[in-house]
Amino acid sequence: MNVFLHECRAYRKTTIIWTLSLVGIMVLFMSMFPTIAKDIEDYKKVLDGFPDAMKQALGLQVDTFGSVLGFYSYVFVYISLCGAIQAMNFGTAIVSKEVREKTADFLLTKPITRNTILTAKVLAAFTSILFTSIVYLVASWLMVAAVATDEYSTKAFLLISISLFLLQVIFLAIGIFLSVYLPKIKSVLSVSLGTVFAFFIIGMLSSSSAEFKRYLSPFKYFDSYYMIEHTRYEGAFLLVGLGIVVVAIIASYIYYTKKDIHSV
Amino acid sequence: MNVIEIQNLTKMYGKSRGIEDISFHVEEGEIFGFIGPNGAGKSTTIRTMLSLIYPTSGSAKIFGKDTVQFSSEIKKEIGYLPSEVFYYDNMKVKDLLKYSASFYKKDCSKRIKELAEIMELDLNRKIDDLSLGNKKKVGIVQGLLHEPKLVILDEPTSGLDPLMQQRFFDLLEEENKKGVTILFSSHILSEVQRLCDRVAIIKEGKIVTVEKISTLKDNNFKRFVVEPLAPIEKSYFSIPGVSDLEVTDKKISFLFKGNINTVMEKVAGIEITNLSVTEPDLEEIFMHYYEKEA
Repeated sequence: MNVFLHECRAYRKTTIIWTLSLVGIMVLFMSMFPTIAKDIEDYKKVLDGFPDAMKQALGLQVDTFGSVLGFYSYVFVYISLCGAIQAMNFGTAIVSKEVREKTADFLLTKPITRNTILTAKVLAAFTSILFTSIVYLVASWLMVAAVATDEYSTKAFLLISISLFLLQVIFLAIGIFLSVYLPKIKSVLSVSLGTVFAFFIIGMLSSSSAEFKRYLSPFKYFDSYYMIEHTRYEGAFLLVGLGIVVVAIIASYIYYTKKDIHSV
Repeated sequence: MNVIEIQNLTKMYGKSRGIEDISFHVEEGEIFGFIGPNGAGKSTTIRTMLSLIYPTSGSAKIFGKDTVQFSSEIKKEIGYLPSEVFYYDNMKVKDLLKYSASFYKKDCSKRIKELAEIMELDLNRKIDDLSLGNKKKVGIVQGLLHEPKLVILDEPTSGLDPLMQQRFFDLLEEENKKGVTILFSSHILSEVQRLCDRVAIIKEGKIVTVEKISTLKDNNFKRFVVEPLAPIEKSYFSIPGVSDLEVTDKKISFLFKGNINTVMEKVAGIEITNLSVTEPDLEEIFMHYYEKEA
């Protein structure tokens, strides 16, 4: 419990900053919606001129661009990118910071097991992500309701927004695994940004082709347009996401309890 | 009762050597020195005992319990001071010590105050702003605040000024009087000599010898310096028991172990202007062990 609280305290400031940033981006984009919606026909003409591949890569769907959820889905691509970076950052830092700040000797010579340490750390990172997601959800709910000019499905909106949390959990798990597995992470940011952008780009490229390629990038697991249409998640992708999380976390535990902690 | 029992402990880092086949034991209430040059494997041994790293083969027991299996249980009664201390930079000393204390299920606040007073440590400063010596003090307080039964010190004195070093040693001796067992790793002989009852000498990953400090010291080792009247052949003093022999025209010096009469006869057999026989300090014996092995 003490480790958990300590970690939470350590994450507090960054969590708040990330949360505010995510909300800020969302508010900024969504505040443009009324203007765009007004001149939507002109926008559509311009957007129609874009090559198809590019539209798909950017997550643009021209038909729905004028509806509040369609626009929100487009914005959400970037929100989820940022959210993924946050989660990946926390995950990657979680264990590796003890090595980097050379405090592993302190923590691991205390009378607690490594499993307890990892659990406390995982829960702390999870808590901060949960906090971000909840604040974001509330803020985006209010914002979307405020700028909407058309009727929209609240359920679809909730599905889209909650997928931020799911995506974050996936990236958190990947980050935790890297954090435990890599012997020494000198810079969290380069590892986390590198991984997230790699997946993001894979996602962009795979969106223009076959279905199975979507499995390659977690960014493609939660398709906003599918959610708007069917108001549910795609079961197969939900399962794969869950699979990644479970495998990454279990592997982290196994590896962490066996790992040699080298002196500095 | 043996507080620490190490049996055939081996740790390999891939193919390179960490420690090889190390065995020794430390009795309850003892101050045990663990000495050897840098890279000999002192820290590796200690880190294995604390299960920061896991042995390739062999085992270590503390309080009669296997260190891998009962790691967290054993650590309740261990205080550890690493050779280099690093703590969460953005914390205050006070908060760090409280955090440290929170791992032990007892109230340590009084002891923290006492220790901080002895070590002249300002509890309200940020760890970030502390000098190396002051960080070390945090480490000392952190290692002792839960009144452990076994204290493991890995080169603890670096960065401490002589006055603080003295206080620290006094503190350790006081703890020892209460029955605390201490494992003291160092490459500085004088501190080991001053504090320890027994010592294990480690070199290139292997234990060279485990001896009582007193035996090590009086092991009948004597340092002879003879100043002859006329130059003497080097072979003259090449008798069994003589080592480290240096002969110049005016001075002959060597270490001797064995029946002192044999060497005195040799000395009596030549004309000399001066003679000194001294107890070698541990340093010399230590070097001697190393050279012999090399």
